Amino acid sequence: MQKYAVAAAGGTAPDALSLDLIYTPSFAASGQLQDITDLAKSLPYFDQLSKAHLSVGTYQDRIYGLPFSADSSVLVWNKKLFREAGLDPDKGPTTWAEIRADAEKVDALGNGVDGFYFSGNCGGCNIFTFTPLIWASGGDIFNADGTEATIDTPQMRDAVAFYQGMVKDGLVPAGSQTDTGSNFFAAFATGKIGISPSGAFAIGALNEQFPDLEYGVTFLPGKEGGSSSFAGGDNFVVSSGTDKMEAIKAFLDYAYSLEGQTLLARNGSLPVRADVAKEALAGLDERYLIAAEAMANGKTPYSVVFNDLINSANGPWISMLNKAFFGDEASIGPAVEEGQAAMQSIIDTAG
Amino acid sequence: MSAITGQALAARPAVSPRRSRRRRRDLAGLLYVAPALALVLFVLPLGMTVWMSLHNWPLLGLPRWIGLANYKALWNDKAFWRSLGFTAHYTLFATIGLLGTGLALALFAQGTGRVVALYRTAFFLPVVIGFASASLLWAWLANVDSGLFPALFEALGLTSGRVNILATFDPAFWSVTVMVVWKMAGFYMVILMSGLQAIPADYTEAARIDGASALQRFRHITLPLIRRPFALALVLCVSGSMLAFDQFYIILAGGPQNQTVTAVYWIFNTSFVSFRLGYGAALSMVLLVILVALSVVQMWLLRDKEEAR
Repeated sequence: MQKYAVAAAGGTAPDALSLDLIYTPSFAASGQLQDITDLAKSLPYFDQLSKAHLSVGTYQDRIYGLPFSADSSVLVWNKKLFREAGLDPDKGPTTWAEIRADAEKVDALGNGVDGFYFSGNCGGCNIFTFTPLIWASGGDIFNADGTEATIDTPQMRDAVAFYQGMVKDGLVPAGSQTDTGSNFFAAFATGKIGISPSGAFAIGALNEQFPDLEYGVTFLPGKEGGSSSFAGGDNFVVSSGTDKMEAIKAFLDYAYSLEGQTLLARNGSLPVRADVAKEALAGLDERYLIAAEAMANGKTPYSVVFNDLINSANGPWISMLNKAFFGDEASIGPAVEEGQAAMQSIIDTAG
Repeated sequence: MSAITGQALAARPAVSPRRSRRRRRDLAGLLYVAPALALVLFVLPLGMTVWMSLHNWPLLGLPRWIGLANYKALWNDKAFWRSLGFTAHYTLFATIGLLGTGLALALFAQGTGRVVALYRTAFFLPVVIGFASASLLWAWLANVDSGLFPALFEALGLTSGRVNILATFDPAFWSVTVMVVWKMAGFYMVILMSGLQAIPADYTEAARIDGASALQRFRHITLPLIRRPFALALVLCVSGSMLAFDQFYIILAGGPQNQTVTAVYWIFNTSFVSFRLGYGAALSMVLLVILVALSVVQMWLLRDKEEAR
């Protein structure tokens, strides 16, 4: 992100690149990207491409980014620990209450085993895995065009209280409070965590690096059921003023073909074209199908100041969450109100 | 030595014009390169920063002239002043810790002999580690689930249970400050030791014969005579601490709750997270002015009173 921004500022940006989808609005707004609406609409399978990618790829009704790679957020659980705790190892939790109950049972195993893990000081990790809990319960964090922060909702307060309760009762390791993301994947991989929100990327990484770990993959649930996911990944964008549109079109045609999608899938990305998704994933770990389904129902928040609001290690999003997750019940209200005000003020200053 | 001095003294009237001519030539040479040096190394970057600070300068897109608006905005930027306040707080404790430890180490390791040399080397070793690697090492040592310190404190009975020392302000702040002292005290030891070793042994000897106690000798002989290296160490230490960034970024990420965001950290965030380069430049200018003022005050306080007269 910063590298591309610096290259673009220096006039040496590449003709095209894949960019974390979340930054497409901010780059499009700054006038660095080529309008590729016509190219996009000319693709015969345009309406099969990931909606979430396109929603952030669109700025003021013009398309600047097309889906390239995809990663969705899911919930993973340790089957071995579930079995030891007397739980059904093949049934993942489907509501917050079930997560809580399962985590308690696993935590009771003791011996360094904890029920639940999340990276409590990592903005990026939590937008990826915590917001879906709110979405699945009917809340949201921004309005559709990102001009208003809608942080202060009952759903947000409930979700924060849900995490806070697990922290208070010792179901979460103490390191979570200061984990800025370095343990996001590693904690669950140790095999001493019962349940953890994670991403599709973890399936490939776990299979490869920790082949002995038995784990299940399920959707991130809402309070009373339902599910949601953060649709992440990269958008394909073109630097403004390029003269290589022919080559770019040829590249996209290949990337979206069954062959291209299969190749991407084998390299750890979910397919971004719905009508060939199943075929592209054929022969791969079946848990990818769950992640792909999560992707299809996933959402991506839209903001031109996403970096400032969410990803910054000192931004309002993670400041609010960290304060509320690890505070007491009375701290939730003020933290959420403060987060709402701080986010709105950043949005207003930028606009 | 004395022969040369004698010669120089004797030849003084005759040499004077030639000497001044050579000096003039030296000066002229310096004058020729000075503009290039000053321009490339100092004026250009500084001028660019000033220029940027007068613009709304996004990382992407075109800069727009806004005059002094950035400076007006920073007046009300609570986060910046808070970060400056924290930086001052850190500078105070880091400077006391560093110079105190540095002086103690220098007094301890100024002698000759193998063992003392070994200690000297040991004290200096951490200085050659980069700040980033030292911070990473420390972050791991302080990790509550897998590090050494929390487990050690628990075993020693200092804390009840395993406590995340990076999660609350005081222990987090002190663990970083202690890391900095561990890492940099050796550097100030060397500076102060150069001063200690330049004190002629006769002075202390004479004082001892006159019956001065160790404390009196330290207070009235050692301290005044290491004033210059001490002033150097102080200026370096204060300006270094005012510019602290790596350790707080790597170990604490500005936490807990953004309470350890230093001024440079805030400038970094403004410039490279929020992409407001112009505003970041304005903040840098303010920090520069503060640093210059601080250094001038320190030099003035520690000036050589004999020389000033």
